Parts: sequence; structure tokens; C-alpha cells
Amino acid sequence: MTGAFAGTLMNTSADLVTRVCQGDADAFRLIFERYSRPVISFIYDMVNDRALAEELTQETFVRAFRAIHTMRAETKLSTWLFGIARNVARESLRARARAKNHVDLADKSVMDLSDDKPVPVEGLLSKELNDLIRRSLATLDEDKRLVFTLKVLHQCSYEEIAAITGFSLAKLKTDLHRARAEMRKKISPYAGVGYEV
Amino acid sequence: MKCEVCSELLEEYLDGELAPQDREQVGAHLIACVECSESFAALTAEQELFARYDREIEVPPFLWTRIAAHTTNPAKRSWLASLFGKTSLAGALAVLLLALALGVIYLRSKPKTPEPKLATTTPTAPNPDPLPKSVESPAPKRDVIASHQKPRVRVKPPVARTVTDQSDVLSSDLAYLDVDEQDTALHIEQSQILLRSIKNVQISDTDEEIDVTYDKALSRRLLNENVVLRRDAEMKAKYPTKTLLADLEPFLIDIANLPDRARPQDVREIKERVQKTEIVAALLDYQDRGANNR
Repeated sequence: MTGAFAGTLMNTSADLVTRVCQGDADAFRLIFERYSRPVISFIYDMVNDRALAEELTQETFVRAFRAIHTMRAETKLSTWLFGIARNVARESLRARARAKNHVDLADKSVMDLSDDKPVPVEGLLSKELNDLIRRSLATLDEDKRLVFTLKVLHQCSYEEIAAITGFSLAKLKTDLHRARAEMRKKISPYAGVGYEV
Repeated sequence: MKCEVCSELLEEYLDGELAPQDREQVGAHLIACVECSESFAALTAEQELFARYDREIEVPPFLWTRIAAHTTNPAKRSWLASLFGKTSLAGALAVLLLALALGVIYLRSKPKTPEPKLATTTPTAPNPDPLPKSVESPAPKRDVIASHQKPRVRVKPPVARTVTDQSDVLSSDLAYLDVDEQDTALHIEQSQILLRSIKNVQISDTDEEIDVTYDKALSRRLLNENVVLRRDAEMKAKYPTKTLLADLEPFLIDIANLPDRARPQDVREIKERVQKTEIVAALLDYQDRGANNR
């Protein structure tokens, strides 16, 4: 039986993949409409650059289209797409690092978050909170940012994260724990969630 | 269970990743231990904070056009696309040329008799629309890729224009809702669609498992949103909204906790509860009232 929601729309992800493989261009558009938002958000979390995120999302879907016939039947489409997005983002980050052009990550304002005056969470405007999280995220190293983004911001399961990243369960748990601790350290002066776990 | 052990397992407990036995033990410990339950409450608050994160990033309409240019079969591209090399440009140009041609045809075939003037229309008022109304505007940007096909252009008979008072047209428009209300309205709409799909799912008499992967992922996302929106509604004393979101939450939790391939009886239980509690009707009612009142 097909998925309840997808079934209603007569388009499960598996159906769409099959249709794309059979040359149905509309099916790939449906895949894009369904997954473009999570994919662009994920890439933006990783590269912290809006224009670059758009470009890399384009690259992700083009690569996905070209390789979709190689996708294994048991693989979840979302996991597979996130895996491609992760590779595309990683390549871009590597290129940027090689060019010694990591402006956002080296931005001094990012490193000086905790020097600012604490503001209770109720006092934080949503824009301030968004900026705070975005800048804090940029201070994490790539692996930690990756698992934190997938788990906390995209609610992927550990199993899915392992499939997307290729990390062992032990590594992803350690990275996730450390990432949470670092994010907490950055955010607690503002959010009043200062405690030790 | 000792506090040190509980503390180590707390994040996995929050993530819903513990084995059933460990989950039960941590749950039991949290009921008994004030310190650990405070840590868990802080972790939950932290999670809610991150759930509020809005990147303010949208998928730009041109993105699909660019992707389609790389994924469309070149043999199927229009002659204009091959002429100009860029699908989107060719498509847009084709629509523009066709619109212009039809505009000229329309103007030439227009009856010479003057239009009857309405009392409310100032005779000297310039026509704000240089193109005749009979030619529909080109497809919206997101549909540019579809413009390989012949654009649908409908020629309507000329109609006398009337000047109407449109000052109240946008009064109930989504654009006039504040950001929270827009978020809530969108959230309610998506939740309503999710629950309706559960309500309408066909369950066979066999024990065949149901693939609810997509519904589950959607429900997880909606659950996170729901927690934040419910708290916001409570803080802003929007009690009807808060009550509705509180009523919705158990359904989202249950769907989010289904395995990817759910047992028919589990889905049936949720489906029956959706039907019995009339939550869908309440969500629809909220949407209707929202469109009229907010």
C-alpha cells in the first residue's frame, strides 16, 4: 500500500523516481517541489551564504537527475538527496577553504558572540534569534555542523544521518553531543538555557 | 537508574533514539528525579529555541527554470530554445511575441464604435493598461518551463470597463496578517491536509504494512512548529488558537512516532480518532474564520 499522504496525491516518492527513470519530466518537477525547500535550507545551514545555497541546490538537483537511475530501491529519496546535497556543499566548502576565502567563518563578530550583553529569550526578536543561531552554526566545524543541522534543524533520525554522512553511529553521537554543547555555550547567555549536560 | 547514566542518555531520549527498555527507564527516572527532569526541561527548551530558527530563505522561482534547462531532453526543446540556447529566454520570448501579435490582431479587429462611457469614469483618465484586457498575461515565473508548450491565450469579447471601489478587497488578505498569524494559518492548513490524508487512507483487510514515511516526516516537522506556535499563542493570550494547537498536538505526536512501515491497526487507531474527535472540522473552521476575521 502506498503512503497515506503521498497516496492521496497519487505520487509516492518511489513512484516519482520510477516515473523519472521512465522519462517523465513532470515527475522530476514534483520531486523538486517536494524537496527543494529542505534541500536549500540544509545547504544554507552548511555554507551560510544565500546565493551560494541557491547555486548549490541547482547543482544538487541536476546531479540527482543525472544519477537517479542508479538509486537503489531500498534508499529513501530524501536521504539520497540530502547525501548529494552534503557532497555538493562539502566540495564547495573545500574549494572555499582552498581559496582561503572563508569570510563568514572567520568573521570576528561570529567569534565574539559571548562578549555581548545577555538578553533574555523573551526579549529576543525573531530576527536576532535567527542571526544568533546562524552565526553560531557557522562557528561549528564541518562535521559537527552537519550532524547538528540534520538532527536538530531537520529532524533526521540517527539512521538517516548515518546514511547521509557515512559516519558511524558512535561518531555521529559524539559530534552531535559536542555540537549541542558548543551551540548551548554560544546561545545560553542570550537564551537563558545555561546548564550543564 | 543513576543520574550519571540518565544524563548520558538524555539527548538520545529527547531525540527518540533510545531502545524501548532504556526509554522506559529514563522516563521512570525523570519522574522521580528533580535534577534530571530539570535538565530534560532545559534540553526541551533549547530544542524549542532551535525549532524557531527561520533562515528566511525561499526557493527562488527561477531555480526550477535553471534546473529544467539542464534536465530537459534537448530533442524536445523548442526551436526557439535551440535558436537562443537558453530555454527560459526562448520560452519567455515566445510568450511575449505571441502576446504582442494577439494584441495587434485584437486592436485591428476592434469595433470602431466608441465604448459607452460610464458616469463614474473620467473621460480624460488615461488607460493604465496599454495592452487590451483580452490577452491574458504570460504564465507566472514558476511555470516558465512549461512555456515550451503553446501558451494558452484566450481572446474575450471586449467588455465595458467599470470603475469599482476595491478599497476593501485586501482587508482579509494574507498579506495583512501579522507574521505569527501567517505562520499559524499555514501550519493549520498543512496539518489539516495531513490529518485528512490519514482520515482518507484506505486500509486493506490484510495485514499489509502501510508506508507512512512521508507523513511521518511531515508530522515531525509540524510537531516542532506546533510546540512553538502553541507557546506563542499562549504568551499572546490567543486562547482559541492555543487550544486548537493543543488538541492537534497528540495527533502529530502519534503520526510522528509511527514506524516508516506502520501496522494497519496503528494507522486505523489514529484514523478513527481523527474521525471521532472532528479535529479536521475544527482546523477547517479555524481556516474559514481566519479568512473572514483576522
